[in-house]
Parts: sequence; C-alpha cells; structure tokens
Amino acid sequence: MIESPGVTVTRTGEQGAFGGELLTVNFGPHHPSTHGVLRLIVDLDGEQIKRVQPVIGYLHTGIEKQMEALRWQQGVVVTDRHDYLSPPINNLAYALAVEKLIGVEVPPRAKALRVIMSELTRLSSHLVWMGTSGLELGAMSMLMYCFRERDTIMDLNEEISGFRMHTSYIRPGGVFADSTPRFLEMLDKFIREMPGHVDEYEDLLTNNPIWRSRTIGIGRLSPEDAKVLGASGPMLRGSGVAWDLRKSIPYSGYEDYDFDIAVSNDCDCYGRYLVRIKEMREAVKILRQALDRLPDGPVNVDDRKILPPPREELETSMEAVIHHFKLFTEGYSVPAGDAYVAVESGRGENGCYIASDGTHKPRRVKFRSASFVNLQALERMALNHMVADMIAIIGTADTVLGDCDR
Amino acid sequence: MIAEDLVIEKGVTAGDQWVTVPAERIREALSALKADGYRLLVFLTCVDHLVDSSREFPARYEVVYQLRDLDKPVDLRVRAFIDGDPPRIDSVHDIFPPANWDERETYDMFGIVFTDHPGLTRILMPDDWVGHPLRRDYPVGGEVVEFSEEHEIWQTAPEEA
Repeated sequence: MIESPGVTVTRTGEQGAFGGELLTVNFGPHHPSTHGVLRLIVDLDGEQIKRVQPVIGYLHTGIEKQMEALRWQQGVVVTDRHDYLSPPINNLAYALAVEKLIGVEVPPRAKALRVIMSELTRLSSHLVWMGTSGLELGAMSMLMYCFRERDTIMDLNEEISGFRMHTSYIRPGGVFADSTPRFLEMLDKFIREMPGHVDEYEDLLTNNPIWRSRTIGIGRLSPEDAKVLGASGPMLRGSGVAWDLRKSIPYSGYEDYDFDIAVSNDCDCYGRYLVRIKEMREAVKILRQALDRLPDGPVNVDDRKILPPPREELETSMEAVIHHFKLFTEGYSVPAGDAYVAVESGRGENGCYIASDGTHKPRRVKFRSASFVNLQALERMALNHMVADMIAIIGTADTVLGDCDR
Repeated sequence: MIAEDLVIEKGVTAGDQWVTVPAERIREALSALKADGYRLLVFLTCVDHLVDSSREFPARYEVVYQLRDLDKPVDLRVRAFIDGDPPRIDSVHDIFPPANWDERETYDMFGIVFTDHPGLTRILMPDDWVGHPLRRDYPVGGEVVEFSEEHEIWQTAPEEA
C-alpha cells in the first residue's frame, strides 16, 4: 500500500489491458476538488478508470430527523442548510409542500418575489459552480469574476432578508418581508449589468482551447442513460432532454414567464457548461419580467392561523394577541395527509415530500435531492476516461454534498 | 393502469394521486406501472406510523414510491405497508436504477430490508452505527458527541452486517 495525504493506493492483483495491474485509488473525502466531502474509490488500469464507487455520508447532518422535532414554521430554517448553495429554492419546495397540504395559495406579489429569489439563487449557484470548476481545470481567473457577481447577489439577499447566505426568506404562507425600494433599485442595476458579465465568462471559457480540450467529449452521458438513471437539471438537459420543471410542472407562477429551456445535444461536460451559461441568460430574462410586472399587494396570506398578525394589531385587538400567543407557543397544525412538491434548483429536481399526522410537527419530511440521484450516474460518465478527467466530471455534475447527504 | 386485484385502495390527497398495493406484489405492480408509462422513479422513502392516531394504518411502515410519467407529465404515488422485525420488501433496483441508493438510504434510516438488493449497506450513517435514526422510537439527541470520552465507551462493534 502506498500512502500520500488524501490519496491511498492499494494493489488489486487483477491484470489490466496494458500489461500492468489494476490499482484501487482512494480519492478524498477531503480532496479539494470533490466539492465538499465526497469520497471515491476508483479502480485504475494505468490511468484509465475502470470502476468508480462513490462513498457519501460525510456531511450527513440529520436534517430530516431534526425537521420532525421542529414546528412547521421552524422547519424553514433547517431547509436553508441542506443545499447550502441554493437556500431560497429549498425554502420554496418546503413552503409549497406545506401550503399544498393546508390548501392555501399565496398572493401574486409573494409569488413574484419567490420567483425573483429563486432565479437570483440559480444565478449564484451557477456562478459558484463556474468559478470552482474553472479553477479546477486551470482557469484561475474564473473564480474572481464569478465571485464578484455572486457577492452582488449576496448583497441583494442581505437587503431583502437581512441574511447573506441562509436567507429563510420564503416561508409557508408567503415571504419574510416585502421588498424594499432599495432592493428593487439594486436588482434593476444587477439585471442591466449581468448579461455583460455572462459575455465576459463566455469570452474566458467558451472558446478557450484548454477549457475545450478538458471538457469536450469528456463524461459522455447519453439521453437514454440520463433518463434511466433519473438524472435531472443541467445533467439531463446537457444530454439533450428538454425537461425543466419550471415548464413541465410549473409552480409559483412560472407559467406566466417567457423563457426557453436551455438544452445542449453535446451530452458531455462541455454541453453541461453550455446549458448553465444559457440558463444564466434565461434567469436574467425571467428576473427582468418579474421586476417589470411585479404586482402590488400583500406578500403574505391573510390567515391568522398560519401567520402572526401585524405588530400594530396586537395593541388593539384581543383576538390578535390570542393568535400571536397560539402561533408562538404551539404553532399551527397541518391536516393529516402527504404531499410532494418538486422545484427546479440549480442542480435539478429538489423536491420535498411531507407526511403529516395532523399535529403541529411533521411526521416525516423527505428531501428529494438532485445531487444524491445525479451522483449515481458518475460511474457511467467516468468509465474508461483518464483519472484527471474525473475532476472535470465531478465538477460538471455539480453535486453539493450538503444536498446529497442532508 | 395496473390490474384491479393489485389495488387495495386509491385516492387523491392534496392533489396528488396515490394507490396502495400489496407489499408482497410490489415488483409486479411497479413493473406494470413502468410498462404503462411511469418510467421515472422520483424517489423512494418510508414513513414510520408508530403511534399515529390520525388515521387507521394497516402496518407500521409505509414504503412510498413516487413515480412519474414524463410525457404527460403526471405523478403517481405507490404505497406499500409492511411490518415485521426487520421489515422486508422486495428490491426494485433492476426495474428503476435510481432506487439503488434510495433503498440503501431507507435501509440505513429505517432498517427496512430490501431483499435481493445487490449491496444493502449503510449509505449516510457510519458503517458501525447502531440503530436506524429515522425510526420514530429513535430519540433526538440520543447519540453521544463524537470524539468525546463517552463516545469511545459507546462505540461498539456492529451486531449485524
């Protein structure tokens, strides 16, 4: 056995095709290019990958168990933390599932604000992906460019919710607070500038010979395989399947927006990159429409059984005080039954399945995470590629281990 | 649609269609549904109905399969109720490949044994973990903090593979 920090090599005794012996190499779990703590046990013939066995669970935080011990409105805080690169989208899946069980619909302004936050999150998630994947494949400057725009999105998050990362902005029954005039100004400026920035990224990568040679033809996943393995998001669309939950099973008013599904028929790492670039442009398009058509009105449902009354009402109404007290001591209860809501996150289908037993805490909350399912396609993509291509393949699969392990 | 004799109960909850099938014929039911167009298994999980007085349940564990027809598109939830120690149900990993890891997770979290699964091992919890954390009788905060003194005493070899 040969050991070096982070990588362990074991001889298997099996004969390879090049006259040598197959070696089992252990990647990670703390290898910097695994996007968190993914461990891979790879069997190599020379430099060719023959078997890949992902080992996950290093970032398991028991989120589903925690949710069972929290009241319905408290659970939102935990949903932020499983896919830590797209908190508002996780909030949205949970909020929509709870609303589906209760049977309420949020006002139009809340829907539009939810769409704005979802698209901002998609942008920020793709920016992190592009920055880190570029860094891994030798494009050092990508990280600086991408994190510059991501910081603007963080500023927007801070302005609307008070938090930069874990916003908890979208809640069952509406959103945390209405947008401020300053937020809308900042958003308008961001939408005007962003297409130019996407052009910059394309200038740096799309025709970059190193980037192209590292990604074109690498990590092929045929449309049939992608569908059979249950892949979703850019993994599926990068394989030429036009499936986007925002179009196919619209939620939160996405049917009212005019945008295209980003598809690439390349079926490789480059295809998945093109899909994400296109998605960023489409996200800006949706943001522009949402901002221009932002309806007036309340941002929360007018239901005192779910959301607390406004502060000023507490001083004049006894009923408001009772509602406030009940909500913050016992919480509300959700009718018995179960519901599943799927939303399109930056990584694919992030769904929330909730089973309620009619009490003030959920019986079971299950997050269907895109990373968990997409990671199963890793072996299919990496087979017979060089070990260095593994980095490109893990990179473009865009797994977030917090999402995967929950 | 699947044969009438496979359907124990069907209905719509909160807009979601569902059907309950006998647990011992789960493979038959899911194969029929796959042939019928439900080609994608969105997720597979389990709900533990221990001391759930909200409704009548035929058994403690409810295994939930969420299927999707990508062409229509429409979802269908398939339920199967099982009991026993350990509770057993047939694996469907060869009908729906994504079920492989989902079944490992459900085994890890609920201790449900999927017969004929190619490698039914723990996936999220450490291999030497004792118990199945998402069962309702597994306490929150019951585990000892890792790398503490108590942890070393608590950690014992696993009883079963």
